[in-house]
Amino acid sequence: MSFTRFAVRRLAEMAATLLCASFVVFGAMYLAPGSPASFLLSGRSASPEALAAINAQYHLDDPFLVRYLRWLGDMLQGDFGRSITYRTDVSRLLADRLPTTLLLVLMALLVVVAVGLVLGRVAAVRGGATDSAVLVTTTFAVGTPSFVAAVLLQALFAVKLGWFPSGGAGEGFLDQVWHLTLPAIALALYLIGMLARVTRSAMLEALDSEHVTVARSRGVPERQVIRRHVFRNSLGTVLTTGGLIVSTLLVCTILVETAFSIGGIGQLLELSTSTKDFPTVQAISLIIVALFMIVNLIVDLLLPLVDPRITLGSRRSSA
Amino acid sequence: MITPVLRASRRAGTRRGRASGRPLAAAAVLLTATALVAACAGPPKGGGDAGDVSLSKTTPAAKGEIDSFTWAVYAEPPTLDYTVAFDYPQNTILSNVCESLMRWTPGLTLEPGLARKASNPDPTTWVYDLRAGVRFHDGGTMTADDVVYSLGRQTDPDNAAAWAQNFQNVATVRKTGPLQVTVKLKKPDSQFPQYMATAAGVVASKAGVEKAGKDYGTSGGLACTGPFELGTWNKGQSVELDRFDGYWGRKAKSGKVVFRFMTDPSARTNALLSGEADGGYLIPTESYGRLKGSGVGTLYFGEGLSTVNVNITNMKGPLGDVRVRRALSLALDRSGFVEAGLGGAGTVTHSLTTRAAWAAGSPETRKAALDGLPPTAPDLAKAKALIKEAGATGRTLTVATSSIGQDVSLLATAVQSAGAQIGLDIRLKTIAPNAFTALFTDPKAREGIDMFPLTYYDSITDPLDLLQSFKTGAYLNFAGYSDRAYDEGVDRATAEYDPDKRLTIETQLQKHAAERLLWIPVAEWPTAVFLNKRITGAPTTIAYMYYPWAADVGAAR
Repeated sequence: MSFTRFAVRRLAEMAATLLCASFVVFGAMYLAPGSPASFLLSGRSASPEALAAINAQYHLDDPFLVRYLRWLGDMLQGDFGRSITYRTDVSRLLADRLPTTLLLVLMALLVVVAVGLVLGRVAAVRGGATDSAVLVTTTFAVGTPSFVAAVLLQALFAVKLGWFPSGGAGEGFLDQVWHLTLPAIALALYLIGMLARVTRSAMLEALDSEHVTVARSRGVPERQVIRRHVFRNSLGTVLTTGGLIVSTLLVCTILVETAFSIGGIGQLLELSTSTKDFPTVQAISLIIVALFMIVNLIVDLLLPLVDPRITLGSRRSSA
Repeated sequence: MITPVLRASRRAGTRRGRASGRPLAAAAVLLTATALVAACAGPPKGGGDAGDVSLSKTTPAAKGEIDSFTWAVYAEPPTLDYTVAFDYPQNTILSNVCESLMRWTPGLTLEPGLARKASNPDPTTWVYDLRAGVRFHDGGTMTADDVVYSLGRQTDPDNAAAWAQNFQNVATVRKTGPLQVTVKLKKPDSQFPQYMATAAGVVASKAGVEKAGKDYGTSGGLACTGPFELGTWNKGQSVELDRFDGYWGRKAKSGKVVFRFMTDPSARTNALLSGEADGGYLIPTESYGRLKGSGVGTLYFGEGLSTVNVNITNMKGPLGDVRVRRALSLALDRSGFVEAGLGGAGTVTHSLTTRAAWAAGSPETRKAALDGLPPTAPDLAKAKALIKEAGATGRTLTVATSSIGQDVSLLATAVQSAGAQIGLDIRLKTIAPNAFTALFTDPKAREGIDMFPLTYYDSITDPLDLLQSFKTGAYLNFAGYSDRAYDEGVDRATAEYDPDKRLTIETQLQKHAAERLLWIPVAEWPTAVFLNKRITGAPTTIAYMYYPWAADVGAAR
């Protein structure tokens, strides 16, 4: 398919997905018990006038559709609205907290890719005891929820050994990286296991393929066979898990940020959900959905480059 | 207020938290914080099981100045606007930056604050004569205009102030001199002057608040008068307070205080153990043992105004029969709960209010208030007989629980096992920490629930703060209890300025509530504060909510 057609189709899909997601999140918040006004008043009783004033200020009395459409209209004009809980602009709330979360997710992603690919490749190529060791390790990694990993890492490296801080996000780039190292590992653990297994099985499959046998019989050096034929052929499979990896990172960051008191978007989402802070929850949900779709798009653009058998848009898009 | 024991809730509905909770679901959101709160007043006299916890009046005075110290708080305040400061994190921080007309002391008594004198020429008039030469952080000097403006923000409906209800009997607030403000009440109100020591009575600079506009409380300064001014607020991470050199009172001993937001209870404890935080209030109960034995610092307990109770939310079912409520109370293993749920720090109680709340009364009044209440020693035989008599054997009841803190989860379990021993089928309904708050604010959330654990703390040293909850239509009166004599008693106590006479009326109210078991009282819970070896001087009592406690913290050696 032509690139233009592909681009148009994908953009339309993304817009539709974002619209659906925003409607579903808004509806879910609307149906959940509790009113933002009562949280705003710290749950104390308030005079009817005060409640009416708040409801008018935030349009809390309007019918569901009217509220949703008003929010949508503001969004389309780039206005994320004002947080009910924090009494400040949502865009400002996000600007304060998003960089921390992105750095954390990026660090975790680097760890996942570096460690996961190496482990999977070593296991597939060496086999035997190495393969068994990797399988055992990854079973453990896959079975450890990120918040459990967080608690263990904290106890060992922060409290007992004192190598890393037990929480917070730090200030300045190097300090931030130091603060986010343990959280990034906690976040990465499960995905390292998953990626290592995907890589391993994709490479084993490629190792069994005919063209590898042919290449070997022609005397191509083994290292070259592994690099040019096996690893490259399995890369497509590995890449397609990219979307899943990023979405898992974004969801798990809620747990890990809380465990390490990092105060990024994940923790903000948790807090805003509990106080029914509509504008904030909507904005964060959409950012997460959008990031997920962007990663999928990047994967689809890269696939034809690593695997000539795949053409643009031939993979069923998951956006 | 309520402190919930949960992270999510505290005041009625706020997230007050507590610490605890562990996420169960993997990708779900979870959280928890929790705080503990406390309540205990005084060393228990008999009948109490205080474990090995003794209350300290204070921590040793600071020996000198320090550059800075770091304090762990369990959540980030959404805003530091004093009109909505009604929860532990914001009040713990704000009490050092913004001061009120009156001041709560570490001993939980009232003294002059920004007003050098409060006088009461007639029952509906309060005159506040202000200190001269008090400087605001943004440069101006305090006048009566600032007071009128600051109190006016509490009653402006557009502000949705959390303290608005404490102004319900206020008719006007007027400037009657350059340094004098006169408050006219619609009817006598003994609670109003006491609330002037809380964030309800904060005075900020009119010019400063107007200049900040809609960003007041979330960015820029707070334009208040306290020993510290707001410094860098690193959103989501920490907020710093810097010593204010123009302070009218005793200069703070530390040049800076850094409050770090740590929502996870174990992360908070780890930070205290590793020295990343020098101290903290609201220590998770499950960490008492670790901190005590750590050698890193000292865990102190002090007078609180918090009690842990079972809030009866539905009197239309079996709990509508007072015999069933009494049986549950008689079957409840309070000592076991204090040991497990409050880390041994707490006192079994049969009173809904703490001993400390009655401090303003004469010894006779205080004794009368807490004597003669129904006993709390378990009596299963009597409890079973009551259930039989009420014809409630085999009936089903539901208690809400949540992983918000052990004061909630373990009390719910204790209620369930008490029921099992006397022939009631008590089911637990687990509510997500985030949804627990909705129990306070949304009647729909309480459908199908008969009771839930509730930790409540008074904002002022007066039992009426809690006892008015059983008045017809009161905010926490979820069961819809209504008794004309009780309502009249609350009104009489509210109108009575003489502390001893007022407490005598409140004694009757407390007796009424206790006999009818409108809530089931369980335990008093002291405040806990941890200080490492570097710092000392913080008060041990719940006064830290409205007293500039951080100014007293300095070097331990």
